Amino acid sequence: MKILLATGAMLLGAGLAQAQEITIVREVDSNNYDPHKTTSRAASEVLFMIGDTLVSLAPDMLTVEPGLAESWEVSEDGTLYTFKLREDVQFCDGKPMTAEDVVYSVERWIDPDTSSPVAWRAGDVESVTATDDYTVEYKLSAPFSELLYQLTQSFGTIVDQANVEALGDDFGVTGFNGTGPFCWVEWTPRDKMIIERHDAYTWGAPFHDNQGPASMERITWQIVPEENTRTVAVLTGQSEISQYVPYIALEQLKGAPNVEVVQSDLAFWTYFMGFKIDKETVSDPAVRRAINLAVNQEAMAEDLFFGVVQPAYSYVSQEALDWDASLDDTLLKFDPEEANRILDEAGWARGDDGVRAKDGVRLAPTAYVFAGSGWAKLSEAVQAYLREIGVDMQIQAFDATVAWGKLATQEFDMFGMSYPYVSSGDALNLYFRSENMPTPNRMNWNDARTDELLLAGATAITDETRADSYAQVLKIVHDAALWLPLYHEPMVIAQSTELETVTPHNIYGAGLYKGLDLKFAE
Amino acid sequence: MSAAADAPPADGPAPGRAWWRRLLSDPLALTSAVFLALVVLSAVAAPLIAPHDPFASSRSVMQPPVWTDTGSWAHPLGTDGQGRDMLSRSLYGTRLTLLIGVLSVGLGGVLGSILGLMAAFKSAIDPYVMRVVDVMLSFPAILLGLALVAVMGPGAWPVIVALAIATVPDCARIARSIAVSVMKQEYIEAGRAVGLSDAALFTRYLLRNAISSIMIFISLRFGQVILIGAALSYLGLGARPPVAELGMMAAQGRDFLLFAPHIAVIPSVLIFLIVLTANVLGDALRDVLDPRLRG
Repeated sequence: MKILLATGAMLLGAGLAQAQEITIVREVDSNNYDPHKTTSRAASEVLFMIGDTLVSLAPDMLTVEPGLAESWEVSEDGTLYTFKLREDVQFCDGKPMTAEDVVYSVERWIDPDTSSPVAWRAGDVESVTATDDYTVEYKLSAPFSELLYQLTQSFGTIVDQANVEALGDDFGVTGFNGTGPFCWVEWTPRDKMIIERHDAYTWGAPFHDNQGPASMERITWQIVPEENTRTVAVLTGQSEISQYVPYIALEQLKGAPNVEVVQSDLAFWTYFMGFKIDKETVSDPAVRRAINLAVNQEAMAEDLFFGVVQPAYSYVSQEALDWDASLDDTLLKFDPEEANRILDEAGWARGDDGVRAKDGVRLAPTAYVFAGSGWAKLSEAVQAYLREIGVDMQIQAFDATVAWGKLATQEFDMFGMSYPYVSSGDALNLYFRSENMPTPNRMNWNDARTDELLLAGATAITDETRADSYAQVLKIVHDAALWLPLYHEPMVIAQSTELETVTPHNIYGAGLYKGLDLKFAE
Repeated sequence: MSAAADAPPADGPAPGRAWWRRLLSDPLALTSAVFLALVVLSAVAAPLIAPHDPFASSRSVMQPPVWTDTGSWAHPLGTDGQGRDMLSRSLYGTRLTLLIGVLSVGLGGVLGSILGLMAAFKSAIDPYVMRVVDVMLSFPAILLGLALVAVMGPGAWPVIVALAIATVPDCARIARSIAVSVMKQEYIEAGRAVGLSDAALFTRYLLRNAISSIMIFISLRFGQVILIGAALSYLGLGARPPVAELGMMAAQGRDFLLFAPHIAVIPSVLIFLIVLTANVLGDALRDVLDPRLRG
């Protein structure tokens, strides 16, 4: 009886003081939460919260600010980075974080045995050494102008050697000992991930209003695959916040008194369709230019995405670091007449069925896209535009489980893809380097000049050289019309008005970043 | 199915006269027949009567149907998420849905009936045929469709083939059970006695007496096949865009369910009505043709 009363009193107490707990609904889960072994956005979202990186990226996507490193120096030749670490950082299990942990994390990241798909993001590492307990020397064989930006990504999360070794293959599956504002509690794959406040946390980046500890005691990341269900969850308060609400629901959510919709001005997640340039039809630059001119991105952004997204004519956001503004006027925009003229001139004549052909080859490129409502809508809209200029695009949609494999083949002429990036260089190095064929350079763009300039940009020591090299690459690839850019997606977050307004972040599409802003309104 | 197995033998080669007249005297059957005839006619004539190009998208997306406050006669059933005319797409979608249903039931029905009749006619091959049929029966149609699409790639044909294959075993069993009872009849014995060839015995005596019961089964099966076909398309395995198919249209409308429900509801209601009327008609057909139920 006593116990019963005590429990009752406790429950009453808990009811009076609002529990600092929220549920975040999202669409998909990750295959694991090992920072070196997954590239999924779902993993980054959680890893940013349960782990920390050496340096942090401000919401402007340009400024690198302190993280676990309170300061850093770069040598003149751009090959030696010396990080001075904070001395007050500890892991969730209470162990202090030292330079040895940083050394271990980077070495595991680039170790061929780890076979990390993101090892290249660490740069061409020669050695990483701890000169004392709180100083790390990060030595590169060649300068890597992207390094600091790459180190802000979740792939650069500092891990705990003892934890990694104890868990083995289960690291990031059954547990994770990090230094982030939250700590791992429990993961049920494809259902939910529960994390709890890290009470000792005080080392948040300067741009956060709250440097720690976090205000939320417990966060549940709940998987809800169906988009209407997520909308309803946010409307009814089952979930306090989500960036995975469909655009069609935004008007209704904005109208709801208990929901606030916040949107970032920046949009660093770009959707595009690429051309495999050694295929019979799309090998003709005239065809690629015409396709670029045939699609009305502005109408698509308004009709399919309700004006939330930015129509894209460039391959990276025009706000991204090192975007060359002089290209702004040369971008290919909607002009179907010009598209028809180019195709006529290039000898693609319309047949009886309205589809163009040349030398017996029908202009009917096959496009591989991901199955699901997003790409279905996009590719069908593109298909309808292309019909107008006599291009009969064939759509083949594949479930995500097989799509990645299919997209690594040489079977298709066009492909649909979207990707996050921190800067122009990040994007260009990923997609246009010849050594990245057949994937992610699915275009088979094999150009010595591009490779040379990309290397020059990556190893540039000054901002000017870097910007200049990347500007030239941007011009080359846009002139060749290797992609059909579709739209840049901003970060849109629907949140309960019970929470203070969050600042949406664009880093790798993880809109809540560290989760330090999450706080119930007073 | 088991009911058909112990059905008393039909006593004459031809079923009753003017069966269709008796069929249409049932008001429910008449309504269904008229509705189905209309659907089939408009589907066949889709290219002539569709007011818009079913593939042409426009800037007026998610227009509501004409009976709502903001609807207009320009798009009587509204437009979908890509601004395509729902009426035109429904007409073309029905066309493909019916085509898938008719072709797969036809193919599977013919193949299954032949297998079942042969098994009953030649008892030597009976165990082999029926074991193969048992194996086929243990394979769900949806799974078969998934496997075929994985091999052949998405499109209407793999769906037709999958549904046809799924129809074969059921149909073979029904045909066999009917044929077995027919084979026991005295007129078969008599035919044998007067020295009729196997071929003549098969077509003139067995087939004629079994066909009406098989037709009933096939007509009942039609509704089922349309449903499975729509389900496969709903899963993105059937028709490839921009082609319209009712199941696929329902799937595309799912995203708009909260805001523009007509995009999902119209094709779903069409599927519902087609399947319902096909089943009602099939039932009525059985009442008229089934010898046991004949008054």
